[in-house]
Amino acid sequence: MESSHSEARAGLIPVKIVIAGGFGVGKTTFVGAISEIEPLRSEAIITEASAGVDELFGDGTKTMTTVAMDFGRISLKHQLVLYLFGTPGQDRFHFMWNELARGSIGAVVLVDTRRIEASFAAVDFFEKRATPFVVAINTFHGRKLHPIEEVRHALQVGDSTPIVYCDARVRVDVQKVLVTLVEHALDLALITS
Amino acid sequence: MSPADSHSPIFGGRIVRPYTMTGGRTVTDRPLIALEALVAATPDGMRRRRQFQWEAAEIITRSRRETAVVELAALLDVPIGVVRVLADDLRAQGAVTITEPPTVLTADSGGEAHIDLLQKVLDGIKSL
Repeated sequence: MESSHSEARAGLIPVKIVIAGGFGVGKTTFVGAISEIEPLRSEAIITEASAGVDELFGDGTKTMTTVAMDFGRISLKHQLVLYLFGTPGQDRFHFMWNELARGSIGAVVLVDTRRIEASFAAVDFFEKRATPFVVAINTFHGRKLHPIEEVRHALQVGDSTPIVYCDARVRVDVQKVLVTLVEHALDLALITS
Repeated sequence: MSPADSHSPIFGGRIVRPYTMTGGRTVTDRPLIALEALVAATPDGMRRRRQFQWEAAEIITRSRRETAVVELAALLDVPIGVVRVLADDLRAQGAVTITEPPTVLTADSGGEAHIDLLQKVLDGIKSL
């Protein structure tokens, strides 16, 4: 996006990356490791069809629900400001992912190998949506590393999808994961062009 | 967020009340402002900020330095939808400008501008 502003802080260009994965996999830790601000939490109020109530009244009564999202910010060169959004963990908030994924550079799917199935939904979602994503195996529990091929098999992702290890607490690890993601997004964009 | 909120997301704290700030509106007739869209106060908005109700005035003050919609929601402790409606009103009144994320990310995949943007983001992250 072109900008004619010349002030130092004006004319910034916002971009975002989504950090997904199951509940408790370390998304907020990952964001916090590289964000220039303490991760913040913001809330959206959404209406949600409540099955029980709908049956009772048969009138499409909706329930109001609060969805919380944690996010961080990184100022980059080239007037860019990168927002990292952790997805709400609970499955019933998956529809919120659409909004998060729309216009994103791509997604990081964090995986805890003790509960790898907790990240299946995220892989499904980004695959279906054709959002560029990489898988990052969070090693912060200090466990023996699972061979990447085992994780690839369990997740059933193709060879073209990068899978890397990271300690979500360590800034340079998180930086490497983000570099891997953007390189991957760039590869995919170059194929399209 | 208090522990009570995290245990009871449904009706946890404030459900209807925030939208009294927006006259009950939860949507605008324009496309939804992105979560990461940057709000920036205009000089005119800064001058007139005391004429607005508290939340709107606070949005102007906080966006003296460009600040994302999602950040404003967190800083003001109001739902994202409230900031969207208020920021949209403030823009209509010339009190703020809103910079949406580049459309090349959604509209022009593989285009020159898309690739250029990704290269800049990559360079930016590598240089951290």
